[in-house]
Amino acid sequence: MTLFEIFDPKAAPRPIGIDLGTTNSLVAYVSNERPVAVADCDQQVLVPSVVTYLANGDVVVGRRAQKLAPEYPRDTISSAKRYMGRGSDDAETSRLGPYDFVQPEAGEGNVVRFRVAGDRVVTPVEVSAEILRALKVQAEDELRNVGGAVITVPAYFDDAQRQATKDAARIAGLEVLRLLNEPTAAALAYGLEKNRSGTFAVYDLGGGTFDVTVLVLDSGVFQVRSTGGDSQLGGDDMDRALAEEILRSLGFDSGQQTPLLVRMVLDEARKAKHALTLADSVVADVPGQAPVVISRARFETLIQPLLNRTGAACRRALRDAGLAPGKIDGVILVGGATRIPAVRRYVAEVFQKEPLADIDPDEVVALGAAVQADLLAGDGRRDDILLLDVIPLSLGIEVGGGVVDRILPRNSTIPCAARATYTTQEDNQTGFEIHVLQGEREMVADNRSLARFSLHGIPPMPAGLARLEVTFRIDADGLLHVQAKELNTNIEQTVRVKPSYGLDDAAVERMLVDALDHGEDDLGRRQIAEARVEAKRILGATAKGLATDADLLEEGESAQIESACESLGKAISGQSAAEIRARIEALDRATQGFAGRRMNRAIGRAIGGSRVDVVEEHVKHAKGVLADGRHSVAE
Amino acid sequence: MDPFSTLGIPATFDVDLSVAERIHRDLSRALHPDRYVGASVSERRIALAKAVEVNEAWRTVRDPIRRAEALLALRGVSVGDGASQVSLSPAFLMQMIELREALADARAPGDAGAVHTLASDVEARARRSEGELSCGFKDGKGSELLTPLAELRFYRRFLDEVGAIEDDFAI
Repeated sequence: MTLFEIFDPKAAPRPIGIDLGTTNSLVAYVSNERPVAVADCDQQVLVPSVVTYLANGDVVVGRRAQKLAPEYPRDTISSAKRYMGRGSDDAETSRLGPYDFVQPEAGEGNVVRFRVAGDRVVTPVEVSAEILRALKVQAEDELRNVGGAVITVPAYFDDAQRQATKDAARIAGLEVLRLLNEPTAAALAYGLEKNRSGTFAVYDLGGGTFDVTVLVLDSGVFQVRSTGGDSQLGGDDMDRALAEEILRSLGFDSGQQTPLLVRMVLDEARKAKHALTLADSVVADVPGQAPVVISRARFETLIQPLLNRTGAACRRALRDAGLAPGKIDGVILVGGATRIPAVRRYVAEVFQKEPLADIDPDEVVALGAAVQADLLAGDGRRDDILLLDVIPLSLGIEVGGGVVDRILPRNSTIPCAARATYTTQEDNQTGFEIHVLQGEREMVADNRSLARFSLHGIPPMPAGLARLEVTFRIDADGLLHVQAKELNTNIEQTVRVKPSYGLDDAAVERMLVDALDHGEDDLGRRQIAEARVEAKRILGATAKGLATDADLLEEGESAQIESACESLGKAISGQSAAEIRARIEALDRATQGFAGRRMNRAIGRAIGGSRVDVVEEHVKHAKGVLADGRHSVAE
Repeated sequence: MDPFSTLGIPATFDVDLSVAERIHRDLSRALHPDRYVGASVSERRIALAKAVEVNEAWRTVRDPIRRAEALLALRGVSVGDGASQVSLSPAFLMQMIELREALADARAPGDAGAVHTLASDVEARARRSEGELSCGFKDGKGSELLTPLAELRFYRRFLDEVGAIEDDFAI
């Protein structure tokens, strides 16, 4: 990211798109209006999402780490994505695998930790950061200067998993332009490349997650109608099912399974799965064991329960979108597992349509992420293309009787906000316990607990008199912020929801410092470099705004803005990040009124851009938006 | 601002959803945070607030229950803690309890057919409640509509549970 700029100020930073996958990861960028994946020196674009920690402190990523896996089964972490934002007591952590999990001590956050060589303990966030760092280096080899990144996440990732991904990027020194849902990215890659319009379903069966998304492509807007899936279901499960079958055939029971054996059998299972895409039967040859013959039919029987789970999610996504299966114009396949013939047959059956696969299902997500990065920060900025994404799961809070009160329903378009008001159940209750939940079920126990926090210091009142207003806000990355306020006293509290299974800010900061070669020094340099980039961006945006909408300036406003720009310009050549930040804020204050007027003009244009018949009918109401907008800005 | 004004559409229960969707899309095109990545902080903040408002309006308008609540609010009828304040008839509550019991009975043995039959029955009831709301709003009614609205909420919860059960069955 920006550090590089200090050394090479001439190369303009290029935004990149990253698919941080369970099995493989890759990075792409847009060149001459077309997204391309970055290959390493061996002409490979896929970087296995595998990290090996060696006793001498070295960290190895990718294909080399994969080769080290048999030798260092416990020190080689693969599929770290499956553990992102998960607790150490989560079902996922006790599944078939060779890892040495560290139990959290009292007072420590309940985060998954792996014990690796050299008595190091690492979290999935740090493992992912190593992969992101390797991808960044690979991109830098080709682009010299890498700008911000769009990083994809499964649409079905919950809040903790998204936050963990963002933390990993921060530790890797990447500026995150946006977290983008993988299926949406795939649609973007297809939509732009093929200039299609219509209703599409994206069936994304990755290494560790399954997502299905229904979206409408219309005049450049990609609007997600519904999304669903399972963040704990993927190609890895097929490997496991097959590995368990091989272990059974070899006569092992669970007591006799060493980490090395499990690792070798899983490797053989993966190879067999790949081979069965073309062959009718294969022989799994686990070193030191008898060969095991697996037929394609047997494999298909083993994976059928997994496919049925994807089918249920597909039907629900269709139901949520208000569509019958036959109404889909095209089905886009994403993820290596969609190469399996049985998967394609199953998809064709569920959607009553042969799926599309003209873009490599392993690359399509990264290519779409590159397109989005280019739209956000590259030369490709244009006004005719837009993604409208949704939240995958409903959000609510616990109310009396262990019932969930849903505040934001699933498939709400983001960014969004909603509030609800509650009252006290008991006389003289001076605090509220707020329990934030994610999921679709009525009862608290059936949903995922995101966070608990409390609001204290409310004066004693009879039951039913206190009025607690809870506001949920979701930003464009799909991250949740919760605010609780008692309306009689105005006592309030805001939380960035992450504690349940996440790392706190201090822990991320520590990892960030650890990750830099010279710790604190580099951190300071990085902060000032980041502030400079931000300042230049804002100066550019301000100049552009003044040039296009000069007529909106009020008396004397222009001089104020120019003077604030000048001060910021001076701060950029100085050495204080705090000074730059302060000047950015000052410029922000100077441009506030102007920005509000520009926004109203944008709204006016948007409504004016609708079809004529719509405009005629609604132009009167549209004016109401403008008038009120002006009013609220002036406040 | 009320959601109908935000989208610039007439405040009625019988909304033309395709028109509302198109307006939502056009406003999003102008206001989405992606349009303001490189913009000044104040522009980003204002755009975000507006985008949130437009999305909230669309979410309200496209859902019959939220739409009815918004219309009632416009007519000065408080729907704040709605469900608890409306006294539903004992006959209705009795029926709902019976439906719930029937759903539990069908769920335990995994009787997908019985669950489906119950769902169709409740969907028909929900449609009748929506019809009642539609006529009521046309006739300028206010607080009288709290009853069909509360009933619709019951049906919605029931159907949500059916959806969850059907998902469980499929696995």
